[in-house]
Amino acid sequence: MKALLIGEYRQGKLLDTTYELKAFADRLGADSVMLLVGSDADLPKYEGRLYLADAGKYGEYNPDLHKQLVLQAVEKENPDCIVFVHSSYGWDLAPRVAVALKAGQVSEIVALNDGAYEVNACNAKLRRTVTPKGGLAPSGACPLAVLTIQAGAFSPSGEPQGAPQLERLELSGTASAIEFVGYEAAEQKGVDLSKAEIIVSAGRGVGKKDNVPVIAALASALGGELGASRPVVDAGWVDHSHQVGTTGQTVSPKLYVACGISGAIQHLAGMKKADFIVAINKDKDAPIGEIADVLVVADVMQFVPAFTAKCAR
Amino acid sequence: MFLELTEEQKLIQETARNFARSVLEPLAPKLDREGDHPAFLANLKKLAELGFMGLNVQGEYGGSEAGVVAFSVAMTEIARACASTAVTVSVNNMVCEVIQAIGSQEQKEKYIPRICSGAYAAGSFALTETGAGSDPAGMTTTAVLDGDSWVLNGSKIFITSAPYAGVFVVWAVTDKEAPKGKGISCFLVEQGTPGLVIGKQEEKTGQHASATNELVFDNCRIPKDALMGKLNDGFRIAVAELGGGRIGIGSLALGIGLAAMDYATRYSTERVQFGQKISSFQATQWKIADSYTELEAARLLLMNAAFRKESGRPFAKEASMAKLFATEAANRACYNAVQMLGGYGYTADFPVERYARDVRITSIYEGTSEIQRVIIAREILKNIG
Amino acid sequence: MKILVCIKQVPDMESRFRPNGDKTWYDESDLAFRMNEYDEYAVEQAVQLKEQLGGEPEITVLSIGPERTVEAIKKALAMGGDRAVHIRDDRYYQKDPWQIASMIASYAKGEGFDLIFTGMQSQDRGSAQVGVIVAELLGIACATTLVGFSYDGGTITAKRELEGGIKGVAKLKLPALVTCQLGLNTPRYPTLPNIMKAKKKEIASLTPAELSGEAELTATAAIYPPAKKGGGLVLEGEIGIQVDRLMGILKEKTAVLR
Repeated sequence: MKALLIGEYRQGKLLDTTYELKAFADRLGADSVMLLVGSDADLPKYEGRLYLADAGKYGEYNPDLHKQLVLQAVEKENPDCIVFVHSSYGWDLAPRVAVALKAGQVSEIVALNDGAYEVNACNAKLRRTVTPKGGLAPSGACPLAVLTIQAGAFSPSGEPQGAPQLERLELSGTASAIEFVGYEAAEQKGVDLSKAEIIVSAGRGVGKKDNVPVIAALASALGGELGASRPVVDAGWVDHSHQVGTTGQTVSPKLYVACGISGAIQHLAGMKKADFIVAINKDKDAPIGEIADVLVVADVMQFVPAFTAKCAR
Repeated sequence: MFLELTEEQKLIQETARNFARSVLEPLAPKLDREGDHPAFLANLKKLAELGFMGLNVQGEYGGSEAGVVAFSVAMTEIARACASTAVTVSVNNMVCEVIQAIGSQEQKEKYIPRICSGAYAAGSFALTETGAGSDPAGMTTTAVLDGDSWVLNGSKIFITSAPYAGVFVVWAVTDKEAPKGKGISCFLVEQGTPGLVIGKQEEKTGQHASATNELVFDNCRIPKDALMGKLNDGFRIAVAELGGGRIGIGSLALGIGLAAMDYATRYSTERVQFGQKISSFQATQWKIADSYTELEAARLLLMNAAFRKESGRPFAKEASMAKLFATEAANRACYNAVQMLGGYGYTADFPVERYARDVRITSIYEGTSEIQRVIIAREILKNIG
Repeated sequence: MKILVCIKQVPDMESRFRPNGDKTWYDESDLAFRMNEYDEYAVEQAVQLKEQLGGEPEITVLSIGPERTVEAIKKALAMGGDRAVHIRDDRYYQKDPWQIASMIASYAKGEGFDLIFTGMQSQDRGSAQVGVIVAELLGIACATTLVGFSYDGGTITAKRELEGGIKGVAKLKLPALVTCQLGLNTPRYPTLPNIMKAKKKEIASLTPAELSGEAELTATAAIYPPAKKGGGLVLEGEIGIQVDRLMGILKEKTAVLR
């Protein structure tokens, strides 16, 4: 079985998620080749063939052109599956490739389950196994399939190694329906959660903006930083610079305390590398319980003040 | 028979629920404890803009033409979050409906759109007096024709929204010689009219954000055409319109009762005593079963009364039955909810004590439970023998 | 200008979910349904564009699903849609994104829509495929995950949400399709008069047989609750005891509390 891996490159840099593609291919037991629209200046450490197209020429975001480049590589390699990261790049590009090849797509694979692709449904409250039509994937010979993998679900086991054998791709024309204008930086107000040892985060379960100081008080009693989940930031209760998750910061503190956070997958992806996770939630079945080392089943607004008082003592 | 809401009614319920949860509920504890009058009025304005002040009012006057069933489900959803807001909305709807029912074309065009659009924060219903509560026909406020004006004298009490109402529907005696109840007429009095004095605001047990005041008429002079409906026909109208108001208050009580039981039931699945969740004790389970059964019965009584009114059929008996049962059931539900939370249920750290205070008045205002029983019995007995 | 908004009705995500009888989808019997959250942003953006253009564009709302779907359609009409197409399909959940998209494209092909709005994904299936596939099948420009949208003279400026809070800005010429992300706008509450007026708006009803849909390319083999991760400790009971136990655990197991 052969997988064509589609690397990611943004703002002049290779993205680390690219290495998760290789980890996924290894888990599949598949041989792999890689395609990257990037540059010679930042190549992935990869043992194998790398189809490289120049991002300077074909853009960092230009799905029309990138689709054609992927199709070129498909023609050359005839892979069994084409693998993307389920990211703003991957979920945008993958269906375009799938339509061009009339291939089935399986989105946001979180695990391989007994020879089938496992994905989330209903806010991760259910799991589905999905198979490309007629296929025996991922174990045997399968029909061509387009796959996107959840960021963080397939971690590389060791440091990536090797130097790729480069093969360059070119397109004859660069006409496109999309014109990329540029990037807008994230608003940063000086909170660098990525370096924090302790983070105490507020989620929707804190109830209202007026309750956020209660969570902040625990953060300060523990000598940590205040974090927040996306709904809390979107509601304007906490500034975006405190947001943990795929659209905020990815953190790996020694202690992460999730207060009233149900554990949407976008949030989990941003904090599950924490050494020790405490979740405080009224709902015993909340997805955060899946990854928490300790789940305190309690009302946040009752438990947190009591715990803060204990810490202060 | 089909016991489902229509798609429109479901959407109105969803709109009411979403607005109540995201806008009204977060403010409700503050309104209860310290008050925030500007925020309260701002929410009334938003509700008006969404069309909640004239649910059963024609579009030409700025109403929503959504009907009485929609009014009932909307009241319940609003009251789940904030009873003070809900009672204001209920009274506003009743004021619009009474003007629509008996007002002149000019009166309808002038006042209803102002309430529906939120130009007036509220309308007020001025019937009750110190000596005329359950017996409104015993009122003593008078209106005397003097040239081109009516001159009002007397006072009213327990008037909802009085300080911020744009217009008052006022009942007064216009023929002292007529038999009891036959000499009363109905008037529209604008806020700010000289001689209309907003008196003392009551300090109430609950529903704190909704102002309840005394009204004093001190030679209050209003134009001759401020008379609404026929002369000396006002009491019959009051009685008829109170029926609709009872559906509103019953629905409001249902909302408070549901809020209390929803909170207490969830709490019972978290609270542990004797090593187990208190929801595992039969004593708790019976409270949950009893209260939800009664609240469901209340809901069906309310739907029935609302549907009858919406269909143009007699509904006075059904409205009284629904009001009686829903408000008493909601009181019991709040009692059970406090009991399920134990000592915590008696503290301001949990919302059930507020629900328990807010719900208490529902079996009193818009006709006490005792008066509802009088009406129900009278309606039943009048068809016998 | 002709605008199409594609919406889906999904269960309230706060619900408890359990697999249905043949374990291929969730059991719908006890669930309350509402409009997919991402689709609310799509409807709102379409209505805002209609308002920006002085009411000229006609907004068609399309949804695929069983009878109950009409409620979500009516909400979209009450928010400002002009007319609707309901593709009645009780077996919608057995169709993969490719089939759903092919039905939409089959309908849209003859209609000449200038602009199509969809949610970036559904809350229940979460594939994030349907919008892009529709665009590809129609051969029109497409950008996903919009948190910003502006329109001027036939050109859309789309602000896409990328990872880490960064945004990418791109321009697309009509005809185009965009998929809408949380944070794009604040969907309006439908007003009561508009809910009642929506009753009079046209909801055309189609069956899948009237559209040239494709055969499936993927299939759900099974649906099931996620396996519980072992090892996590659950603390229930009295707050005071929970506080003491957590403090003990943190002192023992982490280096941050001493």
